[in-house]
Amino acid sequence: MSIFRRNRKWLDQSRQQNIPQKQAKEGLSFDLNSNVQTLQSIYRDCSDVVFHHFNMMGNTRAVLVYIDGLTNIEEVNQHVLAPLISENHHEQVISIDTMREKIPVSQIVEVDKVIEAVEAIANGNPVLLMDGQRQAIIFGLGKWEQRNIEEPTAESVIRGSREGFIESLRVNTSLLRRRIKSPALKMKSLGIGHYTRTEVAIAYIEGLANPDLVEEVTQRVQRIEIDGVLETGYIEEMIEDNPYSPFPQLLATERPDVAAASLLEGRVVILVDGTSFVLVAPITFFVLLQAPEDYYGRYMIGSSIRWLRFLFLVIALLGPSAYVAVLSYHQEMIPTTLLLTIAQSRERIPFPALIEALILEITFEALREAGVRLPKQVGAAISIVGALVIGQAATAAGLASSPLVMVVAITGIASFLLPRYTTGIAIRMLRFPIMILSGILGLLGMMLGVIALVIHLCTLRSFGVPYLSPIAPLKTRELKDVLYRAPWWKMDTRPDPANKGSIFRQSPGQKPNPIKGDEQ
Amino acid sequence: MIAPSRFRKKILFSLWLAVLPLAGCWDRIEVNDLILITAAALDKPEEDKGVELSIQVFIPRGGGGEMSGMKTEGSGGDENTFVRSAVGVTLADAMAKLQEKLPRRIFWGHNEVLIIGEELAKEGFREHIDFWMRYTEPRERADVFVSKGKAKEILMLIPKIERNSSEVLRELAEMRTGIKVTVKDLAQMLTGESGTAALPWVEKLPSSNEEKDEKKSIGYIYGTALFKKDRMVGWINDRVTRGMLWLRNEIETALITVKPKEAEEGLVSLNLVKSNSQLIPQIQNGKWSMTVKIDTEVDVIQNTTNLEFTNPKFLQEVEKAVAKDIEDRERMALAQAREWNVDIFGFAETFHRKYPQVWKKEKDRWDQIFPEVEVKYETKVKVARLGLSTIGTTKPEEEVKQK
Repeated sequence: MSIFRRNRKWLDQSRQQNIPQKQAKEGLSFDLNSNVQTLQSIYRDCSDVVFHHFNMMGNTRAVLVYIDGLTNIEEVNQHVLAPLISENHHEQVISIDTMREKIPVSQIVEVDKVIEAVEAIANGNPVLLMDGQRQAIIFGLGKWEQRNIEEPTAESVIRGSREGFIESLRVNTSLLRRRIKSPALKMKSLGIGHYTRTEVAIAYIEGLANPDLVEEVTQRVQRIEIDGVLETGYIEEMIEDNPYSPFPQLLATERPDVAAASLLEGRVVILVDGTSFVLVAPITFFVLLQAPEDYYGRYMIGSSIRWLRFLFLVIALLGPSAYVAVLSYHQEMIPTTLLLTIAQSRERIPFPALIEALILEITFEALREAGVRLPKQVGAAISIVGALVIGQAATAAGLASSPLVMVVAITGIASFLLPRYTTGIAIRMLRFPIMILSGILGLLGMMLGVIALVIHLCTLRSFGVPYLSPIAPLKTRELKDVLYRAPWWKMDTRPDPANKGSIFRQSPGQKPNPIKGDEQ
Repeated sequence: MIAPSRFRKKILFSLWLAVLPLAGCWDRIEVNDLILITAAALDKPEEDKGVELSIQVFIPRGGGGEMSGMKTEGSGGDENTFVRSAVGVTLADAMAKLQEKLPRRIFWGHNEVLIIGEELAKEGFREHIDFWMRYTEPRERADVFVSKGKAKEILMLIPKIERNSSEVLRELAEMRTGIKVTVKDLAQMLTGESGTAALPWVEKLPSSNEEKDEKKSIGYIYGTALFKKDRMVGWINDRVTRGMLWLRNEIETALITVKPKEAEEGLVSLNLVKSNSQLIPQIQNGKWSMTVKIDTEVDVIQNTTNLEFTNPKFLQEVEKAVAKDIEDRERMALAQAREWNVDIFGFAETFHRKYPQVWKKEKDRWDQIFPEVEVKYETKVKVARLGLSTIGTTKPEEEVKQK
């Protein structure tokens, strides 16, 4: 426990360096100069902070403080400065009420603490300090450069919305709000990160999401004490249930429709400013195997694609392992004709099957990583080289046999069939230990690996929800969205996280049933 | 006990990890360190002691690239196997001797064919089958054959089609024109009630005139070798074998050509669709009899008579003729079996099953009883389809007999 306490102490010190606590707690004074001095000492050496001095209505000294680039200067000039300077008023006392009358800006807030003023400035809102006033006035005129809404590249669909989240939290919440217009959609806002002060919003639908769950998520997020949050990954690792697991326990998505669907299932969505990914909690393993298009296409096709995915999940995990195990321990299991062909192609290979498989698999992983990381212009070159390395040239050079090239290629495709990149990558990583196990112990080793994996998956929880539910523990009612995708007129009940409220999400018996026969 | 600390847990985990490689891949073997046996042959050695084991070994010609598969696959004629033999006092001993002559480990896992030479078959081979059933590597589902002459010679043949001569035999057995017996079946037959066995009889197909090379031929199944205990007593040709298949309820494909009574000339050929044979034993007043009940469905595939089969009268004629043909075949097989007194039809088991008490007493007398068993035939034939055309296809209408 002593280590923990030491951490706390260190943390407090760093916070003091950030903003002097004494000043931060202080209220603003009547004296403009002292206020300006306080702010200037806080924003010492900050060249992007502008202190604009002017005379309000000819008689009151005032200072407008804002950060250049985060504020809509045109609007400030036109709608704040222009009316304040030009109009000649006789009133001496300018209260917030008179401001609201004179200045055509919809968001005007009055604050009286230094820390509040600083926060407003940091968020891009200009702050007006006036002589003889204890209050500072904040105008909601923040504006900064942001990306347009684009199609999310990591989760593309053929049928479905093409909108993706962007790096601005407000735009992201608006994308959700546009899909769920009910006021039951709540968004709690928190600031995380001593330096970044990143805004984090926790969205949920009141009445659908379990209040305990919302409370738990809020608490876990609030507990985070960190310098900065630049991506949802920071938060994900700080709030997940099992930190020692390769499997993602929260779903990260770039698609507002996926986030909205999750909200409607009673899940909680965590939005973080500055990243285009949002987190969904709680999830199960099977959620990670669902693609948005499963729900948009026809249900029969959605179901069969789901099964294809299950099959290729197994191949992605066990393909090379099975090859290695069978080829070095259980040759009698291979059909004779195939074994003869394999024997021919392996005749020139100097390595044992395990080494051969490891070489090729690692090469493939390297190629994949290079393909992700390289600039787009070089990408084509990589794919050409990759096709050569894994394939013709490898066989011709006597490094790998052609059956293995085939296995590696299928495994490669299989892991890309998983709709979530994070799941795919976990499976790809786990392939290696299982491969080594099967190289040591044959199929026995492979099964040991699988058993260990299943045990691990069974112990996982995502915000208390068992990772393998509804298969283990079995919830038959929910299998409709796991083993197959039930048609929408059959999806009458909500999945489990929502079970606090009504379990029905639609009225039953909505199967379209047009009258047959006797219409003329 | 104190709960293990985190540090101790880590140590335990790494120890556990270290245990894994201790297994040391002890029975790992690469495919290119294996001799893949495709077939084995057992012969009587010249020294007249022990057994001669010959194995047909696949030669993995390492082409490496994708061409290797194409070169050897299906082209046939190309020598991609070789045969090597060794003599030993037992089969296992012979295998050990063979291993001395081969640079790679012998692997029985893909041996799907076992051929027994005629001479050895006549002397008995029971003890060698024990190796097959006991040792872990050989397949109990391997097909067993008996060859005319030396079995080794069949292995040495190089077929035009299929990758080696043993594959030819396996495929032929799979077609079920003759009987198909696996090592497991053989072991069952040898320990069965009647102590008789039947194995497919393999002969070398005489090479055609153009083919000078004597080796470029195949062994093919031409009948059935019959065994009493584990000694071969004789063999029956393919025609009689078919009759035996009907009795054993093993018939799968058959073409029956008959001449119906009504037709002045011409024949009708029919293809077997499905058939079911049933042996019904009966002991009455000490008289043993057996009813062979056969239910058969056939299709017409050729009709050279002038009969119009849409007339049920003619169809019944054909059905009768087919039934008679089947019964004739069965009689022929039974006569042959009685000649050597081998019960290859499983009569003994059926009697045992129905009359266990009687069987217990009479079991030892079976050799005397079997030739005396009265066999009755009840054959039901149904023509299921007349083929694509019902009327005469090649005869003018006036010649076709409608009624």
